[in-house]
Amino acid sequence: MRRTLLSALDRGAPLIAALLLLLIWEAACRLLTVPSYLLPTPSAIVQSAFQVPLSSWLDHTWATLRVSLQGYALAVLIGIPLAVALANSRLLSRALYPQLVIIQSTPIVAVAPIIVVVLGAGDAPRVVITFLITFFPIVVSTVTGLLATPPAMMELSRSLGAGRLRAVRDIQLPFAVPYIFSALRISVTLAIIGAVVAEFVAAENGLGFFIAFSTSFFKVPQAFAALVVLVSLSLALFQLVALTQRLLFPWSLPKTEP
Amino acid sequence: MSTRLEPGGERPAIRFDRVGQVFTSSDGSRVTALDEVSFTLRRHEFVAVIGPSGCGKSTLLRIIAGLVKPTHGQAEIYGLPVAGPREEVGIVFQQPTLLPWLRVRDNVTFPMKHKHGRVSATEKARAEELLEMVGLRDFAHKRPDELSGGMQQRVGIARALLHDPDILLMDEPFSALDALTRDEMSFELLRIWAERPKTVLFITHSIPEALLLADRILVMSARPGRVREIIDVGLARPRSMKTLSEPRFHDLANQIRAQVFRPEALA
Repeated sequence: MRRTLLSALDRGAPLIAALLLLLIWEAACRLLTVPSYLLPTPSAIVQSAFQVPLSSWLDHTWATLRVSLQGYALAVLIGIPLAVALANSRLLSRALYPQLVIIQSTPIVAVAPIIVVVLGAGDAPRVVITFLITFFPIVVSTVTGLLATPPAMMELSRSLGAGRLRAVRDIQLPFAVPYIFSALRISVTLAIIGAVVAEFVAAENGLGFFIAFSTSFFKVPQAFAALVVLVSLSLALFQLVALTQRLLFPWSLPKTEP
Repeated sequence: MSTRLEPGGERPAIRFDRVGQVFTSSDGSRVTALDEVSFTLRRHEFVAVIGPSGCGKSTLLRIIAGLVKPTHGQAEIYGLPVAGPREEVGIVFQQPTLLPWLRVRDNVTFPMKHKHGRVSATEKARAEELLEMVGLRDFAHKRPDELSGGMQQRVGIARALLHDPDILLMDEPFSALDALTRDEMSFELLRIWAERPKTVLFITHSIPEALLLADRILVMSARPGRVREIIDVGLARPRSMKTLSEPRFHDLANQIRAQVFRPEALA
């Protein structure tokens, strides 16, 4: 009896902690009479969320999701083949690696306005900004994974006289799967950041735009509500990538779940 | 790769004629891994190569496998110079080098899948037969990480035997195993070799292992890697635990130990 109670407590611990935190937040705001334009109470945030029409929420969420996924897809489609090329060619990796590091070292927030000016209106600049922010971790992690293939495995491939492409497909890429997925999980949350940054600079919808718009009218509870939606979106995408790995590549998971 | 030589009557399976291998390291200095190495292996002979670290044992194996081109001299298989990887050669590596995402049976057929893109029914049947032979019939559907180190290395051996190579190259295949498993695997290998005769080149660090397995032992010295002596083992077959206590076994072990640890060998 005691044990089941303890294990229930153990399982419920994160939820209980979160609820307690919300309660403290609510109580502190009420007791100290913090104005809602500085820090709204959780209940005020929920209330304001329902004041915004559902269609408007869906519209903004879809705009952000669309840009994130396009930028992310582009990063995956370009990043992984590029990583394969870099891992297999010393010359190419010597030539391109410095440029990749430069791109990664450039603060995307600073380049964003320039990209908007260059690419104009529409989704294009926002997709490019998202791509730039998600691309680097995918390339680096994939290269690391490809190079982590045991050398004897590659010797086996050579001793069989199988071609280079077959070695990449049958040996190197599968060996890199755990590395690729750890990058994909990080990058999918970066994709949301990229989309929001882009929306701050220039957009007429999207959750980032909605936050900027709400705060400029001191509708802080509404901005908080949008933030909650963003975090949920980010978490959902992260879990979706993790689920994809569990379903398609169960062997690539570490033996003990963290 | 497509032409598979008929093993000819008197031609040696493997012949090294004054083979030298010089590597240039990244700082430009040159390292002689092998120097004037000459020897021959008769067909279906079991030869062990023993020597200190850095004597070029692995380089020697890689030359026969066609993975490394010698800088001097010539290496031949059945009288033809080795120009690249050949079908009549199978390799067993130091680590089992299995693919963790494939089941044991698919790891055994992997060479065919990898080379030709598909596995025929005959090869699938052959894989089952090989797994039976190495005592892993009941583990065919498992993944490598569910197997012990010794079992994984058995899978590696079965995989090397899939295309029925006439020459089997083994690069310290049991060195990662514990002592008990190692002995067990040695007897296992002798049984397999008796069942399906092959020309075996077996690289090892272990003198007892070399004596237990081989017909002849190539004793090498390091830096540069040279053949110091070729020893005829001459212990009766089939060999067993009893072989380990024969006086000749100990005499030869001492003789080899003296060779390996000769002052020049340590220099």
